[in-house]
Amino acid sequence: MNDFLQQFLIESRELVEQASYGLLKLEHTPTDAPELDAVFRAFHTLKGGAGIVEFAAMERAVHAAEDVLTEARAGKRVLTPAAIGACLACLDQVAQWLGVLEQRGELPSAEAVGEAEKIVHRFEIARGGTRAEVSDTHEAAKPDWVTAALDRSGRSGEASTAVRFVPEPECFFQGEDPIARMISLPQLLALAVEPVQAWPLLASLDPLTCNLALMALTAASVGHVRAHMQGASGECETVALAPEVAVTAGSELPPRVREVLEAQRALIANGKPETLAGRLASAGLTATNVLRFSGRLDQADAVAGATRTSLAQQVFQPLRDAINQALAAHTPLPLAAEETVRAATAAPRTLRVDAQRIDTLVRLTGELTVAKNSLHHLSKLARTDGNTLAGALKDCHGVFEHLVGELRRSVLAMRVLPLRSVIQRFPRVLREMSASLGKPARLQTEGEDTEADKAIVEMLFEPLLHVVRNALDHGVETPAERSARGKPPVATIRIRAARQGDQVHIDVCDDGGGIDVERVRRIARDRGVASDEELRSMPETGLINLVFAAGFSTAEKVTEFSGRGVGLDAVRAAVERVGGRVSIESRAGEGTTVKFSVPFSAMMTRVLTVEAGGQMYGVPLESVIETVSVPTAALARVGAAEAIVLKGRTIPVLDLASLLGARPQPKEAAEATIVVVAFAGQNGGLRVDRLGESLEVMLRPCEGLLLGTPGITGTTLMGDGRVLLVLDIAEMLQ
Amino acid sequence: MSVSLSASGAITLEGACSSEDAEVLLQHLLGAPASMVDWRACESAHTAVIQVLLAARPGLLGPPLNPQLAQWVQPLLAPQSASNEAT
Repeated sequence: MNDFLQQFLIESRELVEQASYGLLKLEHTPTDAPELDAVFRAFHTLKGGAGIVEFAAMERAVHAAEDVLTEARAGKRVLTPAAIGACLACLDQVAQWLGVLEQRGELPSAEAVGEAEKIVHRFEIARGGTRAEVSDTHEAAKPDWVTAALDRSGRSGEASTAVRFVPEPECFFQGEDPIARMISLPQLLALAVEPVQAWPLLASLDPLTCNLALMALTAASVGHVRAHMQGASGECETVALAPEVAVTAGSELPPRVREVLEAQRALIANGKPETLAGRLASAGLTATNVLRFSGRLDQADAVAGATRTSLAQQVFQPLRDAINQALAAHTPLPLAAEETVRAATAAPRTLRVDAQRIDTLVRLTGELTVAKNSLHHLSKLARTDGNTLAGALKDCHGVFEHLVGELRRSVLAMRVLPLRSVIQRFPRVLREMSASLGKPARLQTEGEDTEADKAIVEMLFEPLLHVVRNALDHGVETPAERSARGKPPVATIRIRAARQGDQVHIDVCDDGGGIDVERVRRIARDRGVASDEELRSMPETGLINLVFAAGFSTAEKVTEFSGRGVGLDAVRAAVERVGGRVSIESRAGEGTTVKFSVPFSAMMTRVLTVEAGGQMYGVPLESVIETVSVPTAALARVGAAEAIVLKGRTIPVLDLASLLGARPQPKEAAEATIVVVAFAGQNGGLRVDRLGESLEVMLRPCEGLLLGTPGITGTTLMGDGRVLLVLDIAEMLQ
Repeated sequence: MSVSLSASGAITLEGACSSEDAEVLLQHLLGAPASMVDWRACESAHTAVIQVLLAARPGLLGPPLNPQLAQWVQPLLAPQSASNEAT
C-alpha cells in the first residue's frame, strides 16, 4: 500500500469514528448546530479523501450523506432518525471498504459500486417526507419579507441567513428584549423592524405589549443563528440564502492539501530520469485531484495542463511551476468559511507515531529496568566481598532507579488512552440492540476521560460489549413488564469509569430485573458447575458470581445478541488475562451491576517472589492477601488436600511445588510458610519453602516454549539474570 | 431616573433604559407631543423603549452612546425609514 492510501486509511478511520460519535449525539439533539457542523465536516473530509485517492464509490456514498447534512444545517430538513440511520449505515459501509483496503492493500472496485448504490438508495428513502416544520422555505423561493424589508439594505449579497422574529406580545414580561437579541446576532448585516399591527394612536399605545416584527440578515450560518435565537419567546423563522461554501475553500490552502502538493513537487524533482514519466503522471494526477476536491478548479485545470506539457516534453519544470503557483495562490475568502478555516488551524498539535515504535520503546525501558536491577544485585555482591566500591555502586543504583522510574512512567504515559475511545462506541451498539430487541434503552456514561494503557483500553471493548448485551437481553424487562413493575418504560444502562490508584474501575449497571438467584442455583446444579453441597453453603454473592463460571449461560432463548454459548466466562477470562477482575452484584427487581477492575498499565506488576521445590516463582502481589507461618502440626488433612484455620475460617492449603509438578519438599520442617491468596472471591493457601522479596517487574507475556503453559501468566528477568516465572493464581487453583 | 425632562423641554434618555422606562417616556411624549428626545447619553435601551420611539416618531438628538444602538437602531428611527400613520 502506498503512503497516500496508508494515510487515507488512518484518517478515514478517525473520521468515521468522529462522525459516528457526533451522529449519535445528534440523535438526541438533532438541531445542535456545532455538533451538526462537526459531523458535516467529518463527512466532507471523508469525501475529500476519497476523491484524492480516486475512490469514486465511496465518494458517491458519502456525498449522499453530506447532502442530507447540508440540508439539516441549512434548516431545510430536520435530521430524522431514518436519516441518522442512513448516515450510520454509510459509515459502516465506509468502514467495511477500509477493512478491504487494509487487507488487500488496494481499493475495493467492482463490488463497491453496487454497495454505494444501496447507500444512496437508502438516503433517498430516508429523505422521503422529512420536511422540517421549523421552516418550509426554499432558497429559490425567497419569502417576501426578505425581499421587501432587507434587499434594500444592499447587503443581502453577503448574507447566508435571513431571520424573521415575531416576539410574543407578552414577551417583555418574560425578560425578552427582542431588539437586543437581534443586534447581538453573529455577523449581523442588516436589521429591519415593522409593526405587526399598524401603530395605534399614541394615547392608546400599550408600551409593554410588543407589536414588532424584526428581520435581520447575517453572514453566519443558519445553525449559528438558530443557536443564537434558541429560547426566544415568539415565532422565529430562519432561511438559508446562499448555498454553503465548501468547507475547505479558504484563502489559504488547508494544511493537508498543502502537504499533498509539496509531496508531489518533491516526487517529480527527485528520482531517476527513466522513471520520470511515471512520476509525472502520478504526481500530476494527484495534484489535480487534490486541488479539485479542495474547490480550486482553475488551479486544478492549470496543473492538469502542465502535466500534459511536462509529459510531452519529458521535463518536470512546467508541472513543478504549476504546483508552486497553486501553493502560492490565494483565493478570495467567503465570509462563512472563515470559521472553519480558523477551526482547522487551531487543531491540536499531535504527532502520529506508529504504535510499534512505542512498543519498542516500552520494551527497551523494560530492558533498562532489568539492567538497573542487576546493578542492585552487583552492589549486594560487592558488599559481601567487602569491596569499598559497594557504597558507590549503591548510590549509583539509587540514581539509576530514579531515572529509570521517570523514563518508564513517561514511556508508559505515551501509550495511555482515554476510555472514551471504547465507551463512545456503545451508544451505537445500544441503539441497534435496543431496536432489534424491542426494548427501548438509553445509555448514560460517566468518566470517559479516565485513562488507561492502550492495551487495556483496547481489550475492554469485547468484555464490555458482552456485558452490555447481556444487560439489555437478559437483565432489562420488556416495556410492558417494566410498566407493570412501575418502572419507566425506557431502561437505563450506565457505564461508569473511574481511576483509583493503579486500578481502573468500570461499572456497567442496568435497571432491569436483576439476577434470579434460584435459577442460577438450579442451572449451576444442572450443568454441573458446582456440587449440591457447595451450592447450599454458598452465600448469595458467591452464587451470583457463578454466572462467570465456564459452561454457564442463563439465556433460555438464544438471541442474535447473546447466549451464543460464549458466556460470561469468556469475559472473565479476558479480564483476568490482563490482571483484572470482574464481579457482579444484583438486586432482585432493581438491576444488576457488573464491576470490572483492571490495572491502569498492563506492563508493571508487583510480585512477591517465593521459592518452592528449589525454584523461584513470582506471585502477583494483587492476589496475595497475607503470608503466615504456622506450625506444621496446625495443618489438618482434608481429603487430598490440607487446610488451616485462620481467623476462624478454614482455608484449603495446596503445596506449590507439587501443584507445579516439581519435587515436593521434605516435610520435616517444624513451620510451614503459607501465602494466602484470593481468587474468584475465595481464599486459598499456597505452601512454599521460602518467601523472597517484593519486586516491581515488567511482565512479559509467555513466548515460545512457555506459550500456553497453564498457570503461568508471564515471565520477567531477575537482577541476577534468572528468569522468574510469574504464576497465574486463578488459573492454577481452578 | 433614565428618562427625564430637561430644562430646555427635551426628553432625555440616559444610561440603561429598561422596559419600565417605556411607560414614563410615553407619558412625557403624550404630555408634550412636539418634544425632542435626546438620547446621546443612552447606553442601552430596551425594546419597549424603542417601540415607543417607533410609534411616536419624535425628533431625535443622537447618536446614542452605545455604538450598536447607533449602528442598528438609530437608522430605524430616522424620519424617512418607515411610513407611520399614527403621527
